[in-house]
Amino acid sequence: MANNYEFTPEDLKEIETIKAKFPEVMPATLPTLWVAQRRFGHVEPEVQHLVAETLDLPVSHVHGVATFYTQYYKEKMGKYVLDVCTTTSCQLCGGYDMLHYLEEKLGIKAGETTKDGMFSIQSVECLGACGYAPMMQITNDVYVNNLTEEKLDEVIESLKADKMPEFESVGMPQHTERS
Amino acid sequence: MPEIFIDGKRYEFEGKPKLLQFILDNGKEVPFFCYHPEMSAPANCRQCYVKVGTPVQNRETGEYELDENGERVIRWFPKMQTSCSMEMTDGMVVHTQETSEEVARAQKDTMELILINHPLDCPICDQAGECPLQIQTYKYGPEGSRFEVKKVHKPKRVELGPRVTLDAERCINCTRCVRFTEEISGTHQLTISSRGDKNYPITAPGMEFDDPYSLNTVDICPVGALTSTDFRFKARVWEMNQTPSIDITGGKGTNVDLWTRDNLVLRLTPRYNENVNTHWMPDEARMAYRKFNENRISRPSIKADGNNQIKTSWNNAIETFAEKLEAVKPADVLVLGSAHASVEENYSLMKLFSTWGVSDFHFSPDVKEGFGDDFLLTDDQAPNTNGVKALGFSETSAEDLKAAIKSAKVVVLLNDELVDRGVLDSEDLKKPFVISLATNETETSKSTDLVIPITCIAEHAASYVNVEGRIQRSLPAKETKYTHRKLDLEMSEGRLDRYGTNFDNWVNEDNKVDCTPIWELMNNLGKRLGLSVQFGTSREIMDEIASSNSSFEGVSYEKMDDENGIQLTGMNKEEVSA
Repeated sequence: MANNYEFTPEDLKEIETIKAKFPEVMPATLPTLWVAQRRFGHVEPEVQHLVAETLDLPVSHVHGVATFYTQYYKEKMGKYVLDVCTTTSCQLCGGYDMLHYLEEKLGIKAGETTKDGMFSIQSVECLGACGYAPMMQITNDVYVNNLTEEKLDEVIESLKADKMPEFESVGMPQHTERS
Repeated sequence: MPEIFIDGKRYEFEGKPKLLQFILDNGKEVPFFCYHPEMSAPANCRQCYVKVGTPVQNRETGEYELDENGERVIRWFPKMQTSCSMEMTDGMVVHTQETSEEVARAQKDTMELILINHPLDCPICDQAGECPLQIQTYKYGPEGSRFEVKKVHKPKRVELGPRVTLDAERCINCTRCVRFTEEISGTHQLTISSRGDKNYPITAPGMEFDDPYSLNTVDICPVGALTSTDFRFKARVWEMNQTPSIDITGGKGTNVDLWTRDNLVLRLTPRYNENVNTHWMPDEARMAYRKFNENRISRPSIKADGNNQIKTSWNNAIETFAEKLEAVKPADVLVLGSAHASVEENYSLMKLFSTWGVSDFHFSPDVKEGFGDDFLLTDDQAPNTNGVKALGFSETSAEDLKAAIKSAKVVVLLNDELVDRGVLDSEDLKKPFVISLATNETETSKSTDLVIPITCIAEHAASYVNVEGRIQRSLPAKETKYTHRKLDLEMSEGRLDRYGTNFDNWVNEDNKVDCTPIWELMNNLGKRLGLSVQFGTSREIMDEIASSNSSFEGVSYEKMDDENGIQLTGMNKEEVSA
């Protein structure tokens, strides 16, 4: 397979450090896929081939690992991937309303990417933040909690200005009592 | 010796066997899908559940604790254990589905989960009839499904490679195929893609499943997910009958089964032999079935004018053969044996002609350097090179062979495609009168003056000596015009063979080839020439060889059948490679 992707020397150095952590090469697959996704924004088949080549592992193994985890993007995604939770708690607190609001706002459906390549929307399963429902995660990174339409507008605006929302520390009930 | 109690019966064991294999070895049964004796046990189908417990031991004295009845106190594992991955320990107590309702229920429920997304297409599925999932559902599964919603849909008719087609919906993700490419063939071409109920085996994107052993995954697939592109939809399993035989496309002597229906061989599958090929066979060897059916020479033919061959009678063929021989001296006759023919065939040819007066016998080895691997493919392309050598045929190079043909007046050629594989040119066969004893129409048979059809490995019982010096034999699977399934006790009968009549529309007389075993041909020729040479069946010929040739001492069909082939003494691997 002709490969248009290449790791930078810094990436290769990082991969070497990753490999040094494990007695075998195989466990280095996951972190190396992360390095690749950070570099290219996705792990398309060509990138899977590159990772396999770099680690000297069978491509089939890398493909199996990459397809197992939904957090690895197997196709080109927007710069910001908005994972809106639609599992029970979020669903009850309006997760689907938030998802549909986003869909309307950005003019795309869940699973699609905007034409300018800025945003992708995904409807995902529970992200483990049921206390702050409805919520979403941005590109496998920051959680945005207690979503409202206004809050979504704000987040989109700041993302358009290439500014990731701040990490929101949400105190547990016992913490609020103490303070 | 350590002991184990399975279903209340005491067994002794040595070493550290796994429970499932031990249960199977002792003639009992536990259902399973993902386990395969040649590969690692990942225990991912969860079907081989059994209830396991170990006796409670006093830590200080090491004695077993006893209850008020004097029985050992058993501490049961809190959950069912998969027997395939369970290592046996001394005093272990096991209950299978035979003695435990709980185990039977657990297996039934596991099966129900496995079947949730499995399509109910057994009536059109190639695996039906030889499907572990079908058989074990019948024996241990639930009566019906309680799953009322739509099943998951996955890709169908995926061409994984040139020879294997995948139906992902039927897959139960046992990973046998993936483990085969990882552990046996070592090509790592398959993986399981996705997860949950969406997963199925697939190659890496842009890659082909072109493993030279890929079709073995079809054999080990416990469902109809992987099917042979060549064989799929050709026949139902129960219509065919199965005859043990030997692979003739290489020197390894891989043990195979020929699957026939209406005297056509439809597929070849590997047959277990721990000394040769265990459970596997190369893909290439499976295509040999076409040679047994297609382009077969039926009835003798003779060159009439120019290069045209016309069919002739058996009487005329033998008469011509004899006349040509009588017109020349034995020294002017070149007899060529063949490493592609069996020991018995080469022997009967040699015996007749040495009685008649020929003293030199040659054969041309068929070796492709670099073709072999460390597994089942060999450089030697012929199944019987060692056998022909042991009979006393001398290995002859292409140049020497050409010279010998040039100086001969009559050439007798035993089944060997010398022109097709480039040893000779058809021009080389122009000058002498060439008699070809052949199974298939080839460039070689077309270049000869008299062609007499002989039986192929699928039609006779005969033995072959592999590269390691192991002699193994075939059984007749196809009828010829002169044999009958019900009269030849070595032939097996499938359902259709047994119950069908000639008036059924699946019976085709044309599938029977008009040919005879070479020893019968030699009998007729010997009689015509006035020689006192008489051959019985191939079984009797082998007894004769065993008593006259020290290389074959002690060899008999009975012994070959009992021991799955015999290692000939004085023919070890080192000697062959030298």
